[in-house]
Amino acid sequence: MNSKRQSWFKRLFAVRGMGQVVTVGVGLIVMCVVFGIINPTFFSGKNVANLLRQIAPILLIGIGQSYVLITGNIDLSIGSVVGMSCMISATMMTKGLNPWTAVLLTLMCCLIVGAVNGLLVAKCKLPPFIATLGTMTIARGVAQIVNNNYNTDAIGDGAKGFRDFFYYGKVAGVYNTVIIAIVLWLVFNFLLSKTRTGRHIYAIGSNIEASKLSGVNIVATTTKAYLVSSVSSCVVGLVICATSGMGTMDAGNAYEMYAVAASVIGGVSTLGGQGILIGTVIGASIWGVLQNGLQFAGAPVAIRNIVIGAIVVISVLIDVIVRSGKFGKKNKVENQVLDQEALS
Amino acid sequence: MKRKVLAAVFAMGLIASMAGCSSGQKEAVSKVQTTAAVTEAASTAAETAKEEASGGGAYKIYLITMDQMDQHWVNVDAGAQKAVKELGNVDYKWLAPDVKDDAKQIECINNAVAGGAQAILLAANGPDAVTASLQEAMDAGVKVVYVDSAASLPAIQTLATDNKAAGKTAGEEMIKALKENGIESGKIGIVNVNAATASTVAREEGFRSAFEGSQFEILETQYGEGDAAKSKDIAANYITQGCVGIFGANEGSTVGTGNAIQEAGETVIGVGFDKSDMILQLIKDGNLLATMAQNPDVMGYEGIKIAVNALEGKDTGAENFDTGVSVLTKETSN
Repeated sequence: MNSKRQSWFKRLFAVRGMGQVVTVGVGLIVMCVVFGIINPTFFSGKNVANLLRQIAPILLIGIGQSYVLITGNIDLSIGSVVGMSCMISATMMTKGLNPWTAVLLTLMCCLIVGAVNGLLVAKCKLPPFIATLGTMTIARGVAQIVNNNYNTDAIGDGAKGFRDFFYYGKVAGVYNTVIIAIVLWLVFNFLLSKTRTGRHIYAIGSNIEASKLSGVNIVATTTKAYLVSSVSSCVVGLVICATSGMGTMDAGNAYEMYAVAASVIGGVSTLGGQGILIGTVIGASIWGVLQNGLQFAGAPVAIRNIVIGAIVVISVLIDVIVRSGKFGKKNKVENQVLDQEALS
Repeated sequence: MKRKVLAAVFAMGLIASMAGCSSGQKEAVSKVQTTAAVTEAASTAAETAKEEASGGGAYKIYLITMDQMDQHWVNVDAGAQKAVKELGNVDYKWLAPDVKDDAKQIECINNAVAGGAQAILLAANGPDAVTASLQEAMDAGVKVVYVDSAASLPAIQTLATDNKAAGKTAGEEMIKALKENGIESGKIGIVNVNAATASTVAREEGFRSAFEGSQFEILETQYGEGDAAKSKDIAANYITQGCVGIFGANEGSTVGTGNAIQEAGETVIGVGFDKSDMILQLIKDGNLLATMAQNPDVMGYEGIKIAVNALEGKDTGAENFDTGVSVLTKETSN
């Protein structure tokens, strides 16, 4: 490599993780243009509004998973917390509870899961995979038991305000779900990039021993990351409840993996310490655009699964190549590890 | 490290699968050693079955469903219980895995046989997975009647919804409503569960067959995994594409379709499958035209009667029994 090219790369990718964000961002634009050419309806105002609303839940759980991944852990309980939130809130509303009280109580239940996750991982030193596998199963069980193993009835006319607030309502032509996602993104992005807690989250993900020695409270920081994850999952559960107007026990099935995909496509490293939330926006958008665009293109669903799987691997691969300068030389080991993580 | 994690995961999976099979009446399962060898279980079951039959007491009949969660199975159970009450000479139990899983359903079959079942009403998870243990049961003299979905092994009778015929009915209802609105052509969307669920795939096939030779264009099927929120997104996309009709192949798909039509506020004809409070509400509000409600109680009720007929050596009728669907609309659902 000549030095001129090196410095160009250096400047563009000065922000850690920006490299992959730019690469997949370009990919996203190309994808949108292609879908627009195949079927012009893709760019209609109605579809764009819908599309943004379809991306919002993926972005929300992506933010949660990104926080946890950056600390070097993983949260498998996301999908089940979504289901739990959906079922708990819906059950309470069908029993005639005020929707906003129901929302508050649901949030508290979800926060408990986040706190337990954090304590199990940081305090009890359980591998995050196992700890959150356990809470994932428990949370799904809770989702099933709150209404005695049935999906709930319709949450009723009393919950119309709730349904509008989380899903059906619009402000200035933009759906509320999108606005909620943007507001939460702004808050969590600020927390992650501008506060001490945010720096600690990166620190323990990069080198947990070094951060311990420099006085970072590992338990508190890890727990905070898991709490962010449970809050965002809780909100998605409420959105789904508002969408359907009922509680479904299966809600959020496999969402934890969508969240990993959105994060990883957007440049968050599963090894911890690296990633920015703007990347998660791009990752979630790619997911949503594929889902929506391929339906408009009339492609079979199997194609979408293949494409998304390939994008997860390729986007990480490109980043590895770009950062190492040469394919598979200096960073061969890291390359393999990243590959494996992306696939798993 | 990685290996340790994996080992732990597998260990947890094993424990989970061991605890997988449960029943409405727990003591029935706890008596049975779940790890007992299949053959042993089968032979002891044959003995107990003979003993009880010669004793002239009640017939021991087990209902085994795919899981316990679905309202559908609860209704099958309710129908079966009704028949049991009427007959008065049946000792009846409902067994089901906690989640839909082939291995766990096989455990349930083995448990039922070991528990002395003389007849089993089975809703088979899939056509092939359970056939080996089912054959063991039949060899041991157990009468098998399929309810809702059959395995590939021939049994006394299959009582099920003819999903293809029901799907066709759904299609015809849609065409009728579209023509009443003066619409003779346009795009039709299908929200299905996934490509592997035989019952909903058959419904789709039937639905499509109703449109043969018409001016309507049926778009590529989309799969929402039965998730009402995902299905809503899919249906909303169909509406943006200008669909005049949308078909939901199960409960979640139908709820999603109804919600999307409600939001769009356009005259899109939505027809669905299954019956739930939410679906009936959507029909009542005019967001869905109709839903095809299965008759699971008929499956359970008639299933028990057929099983008793078989045990008494009476005629059990034709091999297939279509339990039919009820078309529920605004007028008929009240």
